[in-house]
Amino acid sequence: MEQNEKIQYRSPLRRGELDPNRWRNTQIGMWAWLWQRISALAIIIFLGIHLTLPYRPLIQFLLLLTVTFHVVLGLRVILMDFGIVHTKYQKALVGGLAALGIVMFIIVWMGIY
Amino acid sequence: MSEKTRKSKRVVKVFRYDPAVGGDGHFDRFDLDIEDESITTILDVLLRIQREHDSSLGFRYSCRISMCGSCGVVVNGNEALACQTVVANLKEGEITIRPLNHFPVIRDLVVDMDPFFKNFDKALSFFEPAEKLKEPAIISPDSKERRLIADYTECITCGCCVSSCTMANWHEDYLGPGALNRAFTLLLDSRDGLHDERLARVLSGCYNCRTELNCTEVCPKEISPTRSLKYIQMLAAKNAFKKVDVVDIEDKATEIATEVPVEAITPEVSRRRFLSRITLGLGGIIAVLIGGLMAATSLVPAMRKRAEKWVKVGKVDAFPVGIVKTVPISYRVKDGIYESTVTKPVFVYRESDSDGITVFNSRCTHLACVLHWDDNKKLFLCDCHGGQFYPDGRVKAGPPPRAMDRYPTKVENGNILVREA
Ligand code: SF4
Ligand code: SF4
Ligand code: FES
Ligand code: FES
Repeated sequence: MEQNEKIQYRSPLRRGELDPNRWRNTQIGMWAWLWQRISALAIIIFLGIHLTLPYRPLIQFLLLLTVTFHVVLGLRVILMDFGIVHTKYQKALVGGLAALGIVMFIIVWMGIY
Repeated sequence: MSEKTRKSKRVVKVFRYDPAVGGDGHFDRFDLDIEDESITTILDVLLRIQREHDSSLGFRYSCRISMCGSCGVVVNGNEALACQTVVANLKEGEITIRPLNHFPVIRDLVVDMDPFFKNFDKALSFFEPAEKLKEPAIISPDSKERRLIADYTECITCGCCVSSCTMANWHEDYLGPGALNRAFTLLLDSRDGLHDERLARVLSGCYNCRTELNCTEVCPKEISPTRSLKYIQMLAAKNAFKKVDVVDIEDKATEIATEVPVEAITPEVSRRRFLSRITLGLGGIIAVLIGGLMAATSLVPAMRKRAEKWVKVGKVDAFPVGIVKTVPISYRVKDGIYESTVTKPVFVYRESDSDGITVFNSRCTHLACVLHWDDNKKLFLCDCHGGQFYPDGRVKAGPPPRAMDRYPTKVENGNILVREA
């Protein structure tokens, strides 16, 4: 300890700090997490627009899309949270649930229009 | 891995930090000829740089066979053991080697793992038997406990997981994937004598995981700390109402791990218990409210018995022939004890002088939005999804599945009446 105090440490590096390869190599699990947060913000924005300008097909489309996206990624976390699906299948979960989401999206959209 | 020898030239950038100089550190570039990439590890690369290019390069290693956990570094943006990472498995081109994140850098690639092991301490990362046995305890390989723990005891405390976890950076009291994985293997162990204390300690530091799964991705021992963490969180949910004897914990904990400050535990435990109760309570109330509301809105209309009634629309003379007029009708309805007035528009269309009065329901047959009559286009329009209807109620365009609904109509004493169900 005494010895440590004489050495000048460099403060801990952060993820991606001084690292040109970090984002390029970011794995799907973290993207899934990030995109779920981003889609949450998008939902708030689109919901706001939807309420002020109701019945615009474009807004409805975008809102439904972001909600689907958010739900799919949320389901993925829930399935792992409760140990229903082993975390080693997390990548397959993203793909599988995304496919399910697209199908649901199409069904709902066809149902409306 | 390729069978053929892969000869290559690689540019290797290595992070350098000299404690005598200080500052932020920088990358040094080395050009290496590699004889056979498929049998060259990052550790070999570092050793060669140290021997052939710069003898001052600092890095740590010991076992060289993925056992000691001392050679963790960040290679091309992902945490890995230098001794286990084969160059042929990296993408073509430049290689960057950096010290682990979230730990103070002592020199070059060498970090201070103190914060990592402090968290292990906090999670009581050692085994303390519940009963002192002379013979080894027998736990069958296919018991639930053994299968759940699986190979998760293989952790070599390399710190790769914590380096990859951004939450470990942002939340100071987060114990991080490594320590929590260790706690998981012990919590599930039926021989564990410190179960409650351990649980109390890890629960206060296990909620910051955001399921990024970076730790699962990088662990060189193919452990999924995410899974361990989720399991601990489930234990927390199961124990939300279990009374933890705070005094007891305090005593035993001091006895066992004197170095870890005890004050850190007690308020946390009661705070956690308080918070989990509040959360559960609020969750329950919200669930009941929403459930009740849904039940009420879906069941009550179905249960109500409404007498059908004839409602007055207006005098026949008020409706010129060949013109669509929108008029409001209103009547009173009684739902159980609740009585209210319903007012809604209807469309009246009179075809000829003598008779042929049609009264349309103003609800769109698609999803029941209110239609309006456009006198220029001579169409009923729906704003919701663009449904359009002809004056006689037939669908012109859009998603509506059928023509507009008409009310049963009769004329009495020059008044138009419609039947409301
Ligand atoms: S869980 Fe894996 S990555 Fe984390 S310290 Fe242990 S061996 Fe290393
Ligand atoms: S899964 Fe949890 S513990 Fe693992 S890296 Fe992500 S946030 Fe950290
Ligand atoms: S040198 Fe021991 S794990 Fe790499
Ligand atoms: S409700 Fe009228 S078109 Fe959908």
